[in-house]
Amino acid sequence: MSSKKKTVYIAGIGIISPLGCGADATEQSLRKNSSAIAPLSANIFPIHTPPPLLVGQVANLTESPLPRTHRLTIAAAQQAMKGQSHPPDAVVLGTTTGGILTTENLLIESEKDPLKYRHHGLTTVAEELADALHCTGPALTVSTACSSGSVAISMALKMLQSGEAEWVLAGGADSLCRLTYFGFHSLQLVDPEGSRPLDKDRKGMSVAEGAGLLLLTTVKPRQPMGQILGCGLTCDAHHPAAPHPEGIGAFQAIRNAINSAGINARAIDYINLHGTGTPDNDLAESKAIRAVFANPPPLSSIKGATGHSLAASGAIEAVIAAICIQEGFLPGNTGHRTPDPELHIKPIISPVRQPVSTILSNSFGFGGNNACLLISKNGTVTAPTNISAQAPLTIVGKACITGAGHTRSSLETFSKLAVIGGTLDSKIISENLPVRKVRRLKRFSRIALALAAAAVEDSGLKESPQSVFMGSGWGALSETYDFIDKLQSSDEKFPSPIDFVGSVHNSAAGQIAIMHGARGANITCSGGDHSFEQALLAADSFLDEDSPSAFVLGVDEFHKQFSPLFDPSITTDTLPADGGGGFYLLRQAIPGRVSIQLTCYQKQTEDILESLIAGLGGTESLQNDCGMILAGIPAAFAHQGEEQLHQFMEKTGLDIPVIHYRMFTGEFASASSVAAVIAAQLLEDGVVDSSKKILVLGFGKYVTAMEFAIQ
Amino acid sequence: MAGNYSFRYTLDNYINLLTFCFQLNLTHPKIIMDELTNDLKKKLIEVLNLTDITPEEINENEQLVGGDLGIDSIDVLEMVVMVEKEYGVVINNKDIGEKVFSTLAALTDYIRENSPKLAS
Repeated sequence: MSSKKKTVYIAGIGIISPLGCGADATEQSLRKNSSAIAPLSANIFPIHTPPPLLVGQVANLTESPLPRTHRLTIAAAQQAMKGQSHPPDAVVLGTTTGGILTTENLLIESEKDPLKYRHHGLTTVAEELADALHCTGPALTVSTACSSGSVAISMALKMLQSGEAEWVLAGGADSLCRLTYFGFHSLQLVDPEGSRPLDKDRKGMSVAEGAGLLLLTTVKPRQPMGQILGCGLTCDAHHPAAPHPEGIGAFQAIRNAINSAGINARAIDYINLHGTGTPDNDLAESKAIRAVFANPPPLSSIKGATGHSLAASGAIEAVIAAICIQEGFLPGNTGHRTPDPELHIKPIISPVRQPVSTILSNSFGFGGNNACLLISKNGTVTAPTNISAQAPLTIVGKACITGAGHTRSSLETFSKLAVIGGTLDSKIISENLPVRKVRRLKRFSRIALALAAAAVEDSGLKESPQSVFMGSGWGALSETYDFIDKLQSSDEKFPSPIDFVGSVHNSAAGQIAIMHGARGANITCSGGDHSFEQALLAADSFLDEDSPSAFVLGVDEFHKQFSPLFDPSITTDTLPADGGGGFYLLRQAIPGRVSIQLTCYQKQTEDILESLIAGLGGTESLQNDCGMILAGIPAAFAHQGEEQLHQFMEKTGLDIPVIHYRMFTGEFASASSVAAVIAAQLLEDGVVDSSKKILVLGFGKYVTAMEFAIQ
Repeated sequence: MAGNYSFRYTLDNYINLLTFCFQLNLTHPKIIMDELTNDLKKKLIEVLNLTDITPEEINENEQLVGGDLGIDSIDVLEMVVMVEKEYGVVINNKDIGEKVFSTLAALTDYIRENSPKLAS
């Protein structure tokens, strides 16, 4: 059974950036064509290595106990949600910084109280936002470096087009912080004179901050501000910090966006470039544009005015696209003085008053992570396309790593109901990885790469998956710690480029793409104890007939200093545990193989259990079909989680084995990925009857459910 | 990357070192160069985590970047930090960088000529 792909409207916008707060202030700044890039102000953070670099900073941000990124997000959300009487069904936010500026300050003060670090995690930005809006649906976080905001909007687009949600607030936010300020500087990617996108003498970017949010809906507003027509996501699979020199991934992302929108490239009348001002990006981007457009439409980058706000940039630029469509003008390429003949494209130098209807917006991030959006006034006149009912997600390969070893050791140990939690020796983790290729990689990335390789091997398939969807609660803690430590102990003189690149949340997913030539969508999610479930949700949103294969994995590393500080389920007395689980999934029905499905992702509310039971098919269906439950109750939510599970068992009247899997895997954010591998294995081994399902339930602040069944 | 570099050796230490080296005939430029080369090889292995080779196996005249060791642009930047931290030599010009990191021998020469830390 097929249904029509729904039209997605922009019902509200919110923006805060160095250009100002709100759409009006932003438009006025853009019309003036002046740069807001200025020396870093000491009241964001003081530095020990003057003179301060030129950055894009937000002035007069409202004070509150929340970290800076959270405050930027809420400022934008207040605008986007203005006049709305009900909360969105979901929130999708892109961020790379989360609460890290506050964390940096706390570490400098040698603060040891974990409670003070409770807003460090990337997921806390979306969760605070969802709480403020009383949104009870999923609060999703994507972290794909500079493309995060656009990837978040793309994910919202998919959720809306399929009818999974009717209202989604989506966008991106990042604050200035020492990690990115010194990190990009260590890579010699920062222009000491301020970024000059596309200029012949450009030397790099200017790090910036801000937030952009769009309220998207399939319920046509009285006065829509535009539509999101389509999106295209690809991965260069080339290098962790440099784009493919020929712009191949960027080209494909543009083409995918155009195809998904169902329009002709000629319909595009303005391109908002990623245009960071680095020699490499602008050159690669110009090649991609010329490969798509024989005669490119007017184009410009606004990063000479705003600087590069990383995860916020794609969303800020999508908001600006909506403003341009509303007001009928094209922004100039601020900072551009001398054309670069090597680029063969000429940007608009100053703002132009001109009606504009369809805008292509590019965002290209570290790890070769490319995301393009098509934003339009009215949409197309052609009939909306059909979306066929989706085939299930089938597991064709799987792997896990725990304290007990790789997949076979872990599963054998578990089958004896012995504890598998612990931290596997790094040499054993890496034993099947090519030494030279992984030499720069630390624990987190090595676990991820080992899982991906093992999942492909387990599948017996010659072709590797084309897309990567990864969930992690805390990302690469070793690199983050080492970067901050080396920065502080050298008085900010010697930040490490290797650690900076490795600390980026999606670096591991980028490494998987490089190792396996995976050039499709590449999304890293961060959802605390539900990080793996978020990765699965992302996979479910993006995998289709044209792009049917993916790595889907969950990974977390234990870090001696950071884990007890950041993860509320881990104390200094907790048994250190880490690892993860990974799958090779195909969007294809394969009788006899195990399918995996995310059935529930909701915030804990009064009627959450009714909602969960209904989503799982109802009490009768559960009693007939459910053979076992693997329940994940994080230590930080022990009381609440036990109560939720108890009530669930009471209401359903189920009398089946329930395994508290964290007692076996240990406490780490993406432990549910290991539970997922165990569930699949139990079905494959016939431990649970092949006619039955296994549920992997997650409890706590959010309640999640994954279903495993033999087709 | 430019920071205030503080000169660590006092004049007395310097004279003592020179006297000692003179007595052991260790001030021959070739010997100082070899020590520096060996030192750099060890630092390269440490900073770039090249765990599968020994300093003796690195040929200082072979291509460094893009050669058999698989060294790329990020490694070069990490080496730039190491060179400034350990030897006080700043390399923040792309053209100079390309020449200096072409081989380990070129790097050794550049450090020897520009380091305030080493005997000249």
